[in-house]
Amino acid sequence: MVKNVFIGIDVGSVSINIIAIDNANTVLYSSYNRTEGQPVSSLKKALGDLMNSLDAGWRVQGIGTTGSGRQLAGLLVGADIIKNEITAHATATVTFHPDVRTIFEIGGQDSKILILRNQMVTDFSMNTICAAGTGSFLDHQSERLKIPIEQFGDLALSAKDTVRIAGRCTVFAESDMIAKQQYGFSKAEIIRGLCEALVRNYINNLGRGRELTPPFIFQGGVAANKGIKAAFEAEIGHEVIVPRYYNVMGAIGAAILAREYIANTGRTTAFRGYAALESSFKPTSFICNGCANVCEVVKVMMDDRVVAMWGDKCGRWSNSIVVA
Amino acid sequence: MKVTFPYMGPVLAYKKLLEAVGHEVIMPQKPTQGTFDLATKYSPEFLCFPFKCLMGTYIEALEAGAEAIVTTGGDDNCRAGFYAEVHRRILASLGYNVQFFVIESLFKHPRDFIGSIRDLKGKYSWWHALGTIHFCYDLIAAMDRIQERIRILRAHEKNKGDFTRAWRDIEELFDTCYDRQDVRETEKKAWKILHSVPVELWDPKQAMRIGIVGEIYVTMEGHANQEIEETLAAMGVEVVNSQYVSHWLKQRLQILPWRKSHMEKIIAKAKPYLKLDLGGHEQENIAHMIDYWEKGLDGVIHLMPFACMPELVTQSIIPRISKDLGMPIVSLALDEQRGTANIQTRLEAFLDLAMGKKIRRAGVPGLAAR
Repeated sequence: MVKNVFIGIDVGSVSINIIAIDNANTVLYSSYNRTEGQPVSSLKKALGDLMNSLDAGWRVQGIGTTGSGRQLAGLLVGADIIKNEITAHATATVTFHPDVRTIFEIGGQDSKILILRNQMVTDFSMNTICAAGTGSFLDHQSERLKIPIEQFGDLALSAKDTVRIAGRCTVFAESDMIAKQQYGFSKAEIIRGLCEALVRNYINNLGRGRELTPPFIFQGGVAANKGIKAAFEAEIGHEVIVPRYYNVMGAIGAAILAREYIANTGRTTAFRGYAALESSFKPTSFICNGCANVCEVVKVMMDDRVVAMWGDKCGRWSNSIVVA
Repeated sequence: MKVTFPYMGPVLAYKKLLEAVGHEVIMPQKPTQGTFDLATKYSPEFLCFPFKCLMGTYIEALEAGAEAIVTTGGDDNCRAGFYAEVHRRILASLGYNVQFFVIESLFKHPRDFIGSIRDLKGKYSWWHALGTIHFCYDLIAAMDRIQERIRILRAHEKNKGDFTRAWRDIEELFDTCYDRQDVRETEKKAWKILHSVPVELWDPKQAMRIGIVGEIYVTMEGHANQEIEETLAAMGVEVVNSQYVSHWLKQRLQILPWRKSHMEKIIAKAKPYLKLDLGGHEQENIAHMIDYWEKGLDGVIHLMPFACMPELVTQSIIPRISKDLGMPIVSLALDEQRGTANIQTRLEAFLDLAMGKKIRRAGVPGLAAR
């Protein structure tokens, strides 16, 4: 039986998430892979896994990319739509939880609060300047404490007591943690303290002046951490829902947006299929001396063909590409 | 004397002004990466971004031969009032012996103001100096009018960068003006150039129009705000900027008591949110936000240097304004960091949000399909 599927790809700082959905938003395939610093090869591998597991009767009708690596990923796969992660996350969440009013999203290198009313984003904020309280910092601490990140949450919940950790800045948080270790607090107590510090910092920083009303949805890779979820519930005094596909919501949003785009425009998908797996990418950069701006221009070559020029302010280079 | 000044707003007019009273002008260069490198090296880490930009600009101009710097003062709570003195000390410690002409407010410190004008004009008559100021005001006002229009049209240009190039040509034309008659004629030519740039046809009802408010330097200068206006234009967004030197001058130099500037008319809108003047443009910015919403703009982007005191106050009032009016407002803090990914994401998400609001507010059909 022929079935239409839509693919969504979220290329973040820490992970690459790929999902496939059908017309009814049923998630047919979902994968969460760490990038390990090599987004392009990780993406190709993850995409290869997806293609191999698609049933023979499934037809890819649309594909969307999101996340901080959305532009490059979009070029590689031939995306129909390239969307920022804030819109993508909101799209996915309202699909599964239409009554949502507040979304907490914590990913690898950024964290966001989204405020929604009547299924529309009415306000959002994103961490500025500092990455305190994001997944990368938790990763770093799990490595330092020699506790796998998957066990972080359970360990935090097992603590009977908590310690207060300064969560404003990761550097200070770490020295505070070390000091508390040296006082003799257990790892479990320190991790619980850390979870609470991160949530406190998050609400302080992003919630500033905003009215946070339930239902609350908590998503992003960090939502796997039960300790953080518990800390959120303690901080705001209300139940926090972690959706089933919490760690691939961005990708689901991208797939939904791709489907809407195809439906609205009546176009056929630009998906490159297996060709995407064989392409090689080579970015180079140079300094343009055309004017006083002295832009750093990034030139991306795909299979010996220039596919993108980014970074120039005047369009001198980016306009020279006929097919973007 | 070889003089220079900060790179901000209509630098051409400052040059005209100083040349008319017999100074040789070393034109400040538009800051580049090299300027920021110099700036961060020689500025205290926690000082605001505009201070650093000026620091770098000054060093470059002094290297090019400048002997004196003309800049503005201030005595409000904003740190800008201390800029000149701190710059002077840092430059002295680097071995540059440079004279500063600091122009203070005409109404708060009339003696200082007149004193610094007297020093600058030298042997030229007061009549000549006043005439030159009048001519420069006309020049700035004419250039501001053109720029205001470019900010709308640029969203619809057929070839990316056309209006930026046209603006460069127009600036060169204005550079040949020497009296008010020249300005009038050049402005006519400038409008002709502007109308000859090819644009896509657009439906004014569907076009997104976003206001930009914030601290004056980062709001005015593309190099300090990652060229936000051009980024927005590339996404098809018309821009209304709140900061123009001519508006500022009109407000400050308005001596006829029965005539009111635009700002005096709208400033009352800010009072329910902020009663005090904190020394920056915070009340003006709040008034602009409300005024823009009433005029039908689709949202506001608020720009501030990281850790700017007056604008931090605005930033913390924004959620209330946004809630009261239902208006999309986003606040961006800027510093010497040049990565664009973060700002790009915020802008895209903000425009999605504003578009959703626009559809509901105006009920414009056909927008949803885009």
